[in-house]
Amino acid sequence: MSALTLERGINEFKAQLDAPMASFFSSCVSCGMCAEACLFYTENPDPRHTPIYKLEPMRRVWEQEYTLVGKLKKALGLGKPVTDAELAEWQELVYNNCSLCGRCSAVCPVGNDITYMIRKMREGMVASGHAPEGLIGASTRAVQIGSPMGVKLPALQAQVKHIEKATGMAVPFDKEGAEYLLMLSSMEIMNYPEYLEAVGKILTNAGKTWTLSTDCFEATNSGIQIGSSDIARELVSRVVNAAEKLKVKTVISPECGHAYTALRWEGPNLIGRPYTFAAKHIVEVLDELRVQGLLQTEGFEEAKLTFHDPCQLVRRGGVIQQPRNLLNLVAKNFVEMSDAGAMNWCCGAGGGVSANEDANEVKMKAFQRKKKQLDELKVDTLVTACANCRIQLEEGLEENEMDLPVVGLTEMIAEHLVEREDKGGAS
Amino acid sequence: MIMSDTDFRKELEQLSLVQQRRVGAVFVRNVLALTADPAVAKVVDVAANAEEAGEDELALAFKNAKAAALESHTRCGADSDWQAQAGYFVARAASALVAPAKQAKAPAWEAAANARMARTCGMIESADATMHEESEAQYRFLEQFLNDI
Repeated sequence: MSALTLERGINEFKAQLDAPMASFFSSCVSCGMCAEACLFYTENPDPRHTPIYKLEPMRRVWEQEYTLVGKLKKALGLGKPVTDAELAEWQELVYNNCSLCGRCSAVCPVGNDITYMIRKMREGMVASGHAPEGLIGASTRAVQIGSPMGVKLPALQAQVKHIEKATGMAVPFDKEGAEYLLMLSSMEIMNYPEYLEAVGKILTNAGKTWTLSTDCFEATNSGIQIGSSDIARELVSRVVNAAEKLKVKTVISPECGHAYTALRWEGPNLIGRPYTFAAKHIVEVLDELRVQGLLQTEGFEEAKLTFHDPCQLVRRGGVIQQPRNLLNLVAKNFVEMSDAGAMNWCCGAGGGVSANEDANEVKMKAFQRKKKQLDELKVDTLVTACANCRIQLEEGLEENEMDLPVVGLTEMIAEHLVEREDKGGAS
Repeated sequence: MIMSDTDFRKELEQLSLVQQRRVGAVFVRNVLALTADPAVAKVVDVAANAEEAGEDELALAFKNAKAAALESHTRCGADSDWQAQAGYFVARAASALVAPAKQAKAPAWEAAANARMARTCGMIESADATMHEESEAQYRFLEQFLNDI
């Protein structure tokens, strides 16, 4: 990399150093609690994997540029400048060894939001040319094609035709004034096509109007993962434009953790204004239908099952009780993992780790934490509500020779759906 | 004559688990050329001979089918290759046929649906009327199977 890209990266670090960041750096007491909360450290205990240490180059920029001591040291030639080689070395710490799961932030005794800091540090890593190739490719495709996996509209339309033929249900596109705009992730389109059928069945059966958009069907946001607010803003804007064009009341984020974070939490800040619609995760919508009496189920799963909490949905998003309410509709033998809920452990592949081939080995090491949780329970089925978690769990289970099916929560609910006679003319 | 998926599924539901595995194997064999993984063909052979297959044999076949599916899925964020993705759906179809009895809710239907997705992968960029030819073929396979039992 050239001196120019290093300078760009350093400038981006400076631009990202806002008041919370300065406060967090000056508050850190080096207690190490974030290390014990991070599965990339607990499963691979190298001191460099301590979450706060992953921010060290950015901390030095903060110290040298914005503190008296740091400025003096720099003036006297005692400060250690951040180098390009150093940032290259840090790439694996900031991307491969962090899933932005937020567990470090949750335990920090002085309240430092380390995940927020890593997210900001990634902005400088992108500017300095030190982002993983896998994430660069995904982001490029997301901007140019509209999907990080290069999935185009005809692929979705083909899937819709299958669903319509198999179910007799109409899957609407571009229905103006629909209550819900259903967004998807490319992972669901490519690997789990049953998700769309399940949501369609539930919404139609509930008598709700819903639609897909031909302008924008992808909810995932590679900009959030790689750490580029420009890309993140562009991708969120597409969803917002589609939702406003169709005048929907609610946009449904799919079973994808970071898509929810992007749409629900970062989106309005990225575009600089509030939405004209609500943004909800599918699990939130399903639970609302349950409360309204529009989601009735019959029968119970016989298997002993547990729920893997997707970090972005549960810890970062606060959607803790809703998936449990839904599971209790259809499961008599639902058991919780240790640390279930807000402090559950990450699957090991969030925050762009799964899209980063350099992290393949690391993410399987990180999965060992989930394995330990599952070994304690001896369940028959593992349920989750994030397609990215699901594929990581399936891979981890396979690698560890654990025979355990992984099921999407929405699909499980759809399998127990009781058909309502009065659907209120929905589609 | 089976004319719709409603009729198709109704007929499938009336079959025993072993019969579902056998007819499902016919569905999967019709798209087997879309996978490059030879292990999947062996799984389908086990399903086709489900009457004689022991529990251990079925369990091993299920393990191999799941491994083949995981091996061929598209990684999150990776560029889509629909031709390769067809292999994933073929493996999933095979996996549905040999799943343990307690997991197998509708094995033949799941195999049929995944076989259709596998076929569709080849024409995913230009979905047209021909994408339903696989389901028509499955209707005929099922009719033949029902005649033979």
